[in-house]
Amino acid sequence: MTVSSRISGDGKELVIAIDDRFDFSLHQLFRDAYSTMTTQDLSYVLDLSKTEYMDSSALGMILLLKDHVQLYAGQLTISKPSDTVRKILEIAQFQRLMTIE
Amino acid sequence: MRNLKKGLYASCFLCLLSLASYLVIADKAFFILLFCILLILLFSLTAQVHKLILQESMAEIGQGMSVVDDELIHSVIFELQQFINQEVNIVEQELERTKEVVADAVTGISDSFKHLQSLSEEQQYMIKILISHSGNVEEGKGVSLANFVTDSNRTLDDFVGVIINTSKQSLETMTYTDEMVSQFERIFKLLAQVEGLASQTNLLALNAAIEAARAGEAGRGFAVVANEVRSLSVGSTALNEDIRTEINKAKGIIANLRTSVETMASADMTSTLEAKEQMSVMMSHVEKVNIQTANSVEELAVIAPKITQAVSLGIRSLQFEDLTRQSLESLQMNVRSIHEISDVLATFNKDTNIDVHEQLLKLKSTCQNVYQATRKADESRSVLQLNMEEGEVDLF
Repeated sequence: MTVSSRISGDGKELVIAIDDRFDFSLHQLFRDAYSTMTTQDLSYVLDLSKTEYMDSSALGMILLLKDHVQLYAGQLTISKPSDTVRKILEIAQFQRLMTIE
Repeated sequence: MRNLKKGLYASCFLCLLSLASYLVIADKAFFILLFCILLILLFSLTAQVHKLILQESMAEIGQGMSVVDDELIHSVIFELQQFINQEVNIVEQELERTKEVVADAVTGISDSFKHLQSLSEEQQYMIKILISHSGNVEEGKGVSLANFVTDSNRTLDDFVGVIINTSKQSLETMTYTDEMVSQFERIFKLLAQVEGLASQTNLLALNAAIEAARAGEAGRGFAVVANEVRSLSVGSTALNEDIRTEINKAKGIIANLRTSVETMASADMTSTLEAKEQMSVMMSHVEKVNIQTANSVEELAVIAPKITQAVSLGIRSLQFEDLTRQSLESLQMNVRSIHEISDVLATFNKDTNIDVHEQLLKLKSTCQNVYQATRKADESRSVLQLNMEEGEVDLF
């Protein structure tokens, strides 16, 4: 699996983890990972710790996820991106839109 | 002196003569005569010697009495005058030459200092222009290098935003496309149902035809209807196939659309990343250059008045020429005094009729006059120099 998602024990957090390449080929899997979630106030964590490459479609996907999160009044956090990925996220100025840790 | 020598020779001769007359002639009267003459001669010689000693002692005291050899005095004074004249002339020439050389050199140095000052001012002006130009590429419009870099940075950010937005829109398009594809699948299911209906109609028409055949002549008309229904069901099946084919074509087009949208959505960010990094390097460089420029301007502001100060000091130092000229002029005056003495010496007449003693006295008084005049001049000069050293000197 290049995209894996799991809900924490208390059901208040959804963790979506991406493998080394985050590009267009994942868009279906990525959307499927969150589109069924309609719980209010859910915390979404996007785990990019293994991701090495990211293109603009990945950024678009993250923005779509952000739209979804906002629709259900949740929180979005990007977790442990690598240096390259962090730079790309900063160029896109995602730090203004979501928490990057 | 010569007379004294002659007298001594004569007395010696008389002595020999008297001795000879005593031995050879043996004439008493003649001998006494000779002896008397000898005595008188010796007496007068003694008087002469006494006078000479007296004169020498007089000369020692300095009461120049013209007892010495006049001719020697004349020649000595003549030589002295010649020597002084020659030396004084040389000294005068050298003084004049030094004065000219110093004046020329000072004029040259002063000119070069002034030139240096004007050049330095020109240089400052040009540096100021250069600095103001480096700050503003286009004067008046305020387009500085820093502003340009900031603008470019903003443009790049906008560009990145556009790319991401395009990706987002493309992905949304993709979602709709996927929905459309699933919609097609549902259409296929409906088509299958329609096909089922058609085959059932076909079967029904077949049954109807069999029943019509069994009815014989009475069912002939019904058989025609059953046949028509059957051909309708066959046509319906063909139409279904056509629809399926068309929708499959549409699916092929959608696959192309998907590829195209994928290309649109997936922009590689690597080059943007590099551009962004270069931009920040550029930004820090511009900042550094700006700071350096500001520092240089400050340093130049400090250096510029220092140059002016140094040049002013140099020009002020050139006042030494004035002082040197005054010293040289006073030296020239001194030399003139010596010249005057020399002139006085030149008037020392060789004419033996005029008394040497008188001439020496005249010489002495002239010397004293010249000495007094020189001394006065020297005193006034010292006062002048003192004033020069005390007073603050302005540029000339």
